[in-house]
Amino acid sequence: MKILVCISCVPDTTSKIVIDPATSQISNQGLTFIVGPYDDYALSRAIELKESHSAEVIVLHVGGTESEALIRKCLALGADSAVRIDGNPVSSNQIATAITSYVKQNPCDLILMGKESIDYNSGIVHGLVAGALGYTHFNPVMHLELAGDSLNLEVEMDGGKMEVTCPLPAVLGCQEPIAEWKIPSMRGIMTARTKEIVVIPLTDTSEVQLLKADIAETARKNKMIKAEDAEQLIDLLRTETNVL
Amino acid sequence: MKKIAILAQIKEGQLSDTTKQLIAFVSGFQPEQLKVVTLGEIKFNSLGSSLPAEIISLTGDLWVDTASIQTLGNEVKDFCVFGIKSIQTDNLLSLLAANASQEIISGIQHLSYSAGTFTISKSIFSGKASLTLQSSTAAFFSINRNFDFGGVNELPEVAVASSVSLAASATSNAAIVSLKPITGSIPLPDAALVVSAGRGLKDPGNWTIVEDLAKELGAATACSKPVSDLNWRPHHEHVGQTGVKISPNLYIACGISGAIQHLAGVNGSRIIVVINTDPEAPFFKHADYGIVGDVNDILPRLTKKLQIH
Repeated sequence: MKILVCISCVPDTTSKIVIDPATSQISNQGLTFIVGPYDDYALSRAIELKESHSAEVIVLHVGGTESEALIRKCLALGADSAVRIDGNPVSSNQIATAITSYVKQNPCDLILMGKESIDYNSGIVHGLVAGALGYTHFNPVMHLELAGDSLNLEVEMDGGKMEVTCPLPAVLGCQEPIAEWKIPSMRGIMTARTKEIVVIPLTDTSEVQLLKADIAETARKNKMIKAEDAEQLIDLLRTETNVL
Repeated sequence: MKKIAILAQIKEGQLSDTTKQLIAFVSGFQPEQLKVVTLGEIKFNSLGSSLPAEIISLTGDLWVDTASIQTLGNEVKDFCVFGIKSIQTDNLLSLLAANASQEIISGIQHLSYSAGTFTISKSIFSGKASLTLQSSTAAFFSINRNFDFGGVNELPEVAVASSVSLAASATSNAAIVSLKPITGSIPLPDAALVVSAGRGLKDPGNWTIVEDLAKELGAATACSKPVSDLNWRPHHEHVGQTGVKISPNLYIACGISGAIQHLAGVNGSRIIVVINTDPEAPFFKHADYGIVGDVNDILPRLTKKLQIH
């Protein structure tokens, strides 16, 4: 059983996002990068399956050299090997095409990734990969159990959830509570040093042109109401804002 | 513009107002042909008179059926396909885009079309920023629920030119074992008004005061991550970075301090009210109205006020 876990490397959730005036794009200055939190859930579940079902876990990332430390952390958590498709993708299609090309050359049974990356929030790479490969697709998956040649899943849907049996090969977008985040052990960190990170170039292009990024400013009223006058809130919501 | 198709979510057989707004918006591009693909059975014959649209209603388990993706793909071949963000819409749009080998863009806040090129503003970093991009090749578009329709308020009159029903085939290997719809409450992503509570509630037994206020307002209820982690409330009510992201007209945060991860899920709200005992709670900086006080005292008073007036 071969599991490919695709990870995004994204600014930490507490990051203050600023624009670089020279490029009109998001500035990477002063940002701390982490493995996407949803991807981290996917990886944690893959490692649990490695331990319980002796699966092989390969981590894949599409991005630049700056991500190597984070890929190394995934190896320290227990992934067996890693692939970095080297480049700076600008669209979900470009990332999905790169993953698809890799899988066509290196078949695997199960592809896991987060339901979305927390930087661009697109949430469509798993669907694009599944569609291109003709694999079964579910998203967002909250529970995953191996059952022989297929999977038992719990999947969130609009207005509820469902339990499904899913044949392999499959591509799944993951979210909590599929697994608990893990912390690398000292032994894991040591062995990760010698594990291989294969680097292949990103050859797929995108026709999307990024023009500029802007910070969303929402002006808030910041009006304080005394606790003893709390009932006034209802009047203000009715008269000042018309939301009631 | 060429041909346009819309993926429309159906509730009780009817199109939502947002879907109608989207139809009005895209008809501004004067498409050669307009198809409305409904995910579910429809219970209307006509939507009015002026705009001819072909209605295709898809029924069956689209969730698990890859064959019906092909069928749907054939129906919208060479169309620009628009949908309104939901789990199902985004899943379908991405599978369709892969099938058609076309570019897809999601999280769209603003969109314009001129001389064969789309200029799109997309929400990124959970609404903290936006990205403007151009594409002349994108064919699949997922718009956010708070999309800027640019003053299209008139809901269009759509005439049904023809109506086809396609049933999903039963060829898939995946199978649904059980379906557990959430019943008896207002679905959180659709809600215009939301009352949300955090650990400041002190005890899960106090949740009734949140429900009472929500009921009086006609609001949905939500919670912070710690509250769902403690199993006080189900996971689907958790709003924030790793939970549901919402953009209601009114968000009332009760006993939630306002960690940045929580704000990421709610900062698209039009009006934010914060009630917290701690005057230093960071949420107050992001509030339209703030009350420093105990939610266990304040919420019942707000409920009572609504009941009287």
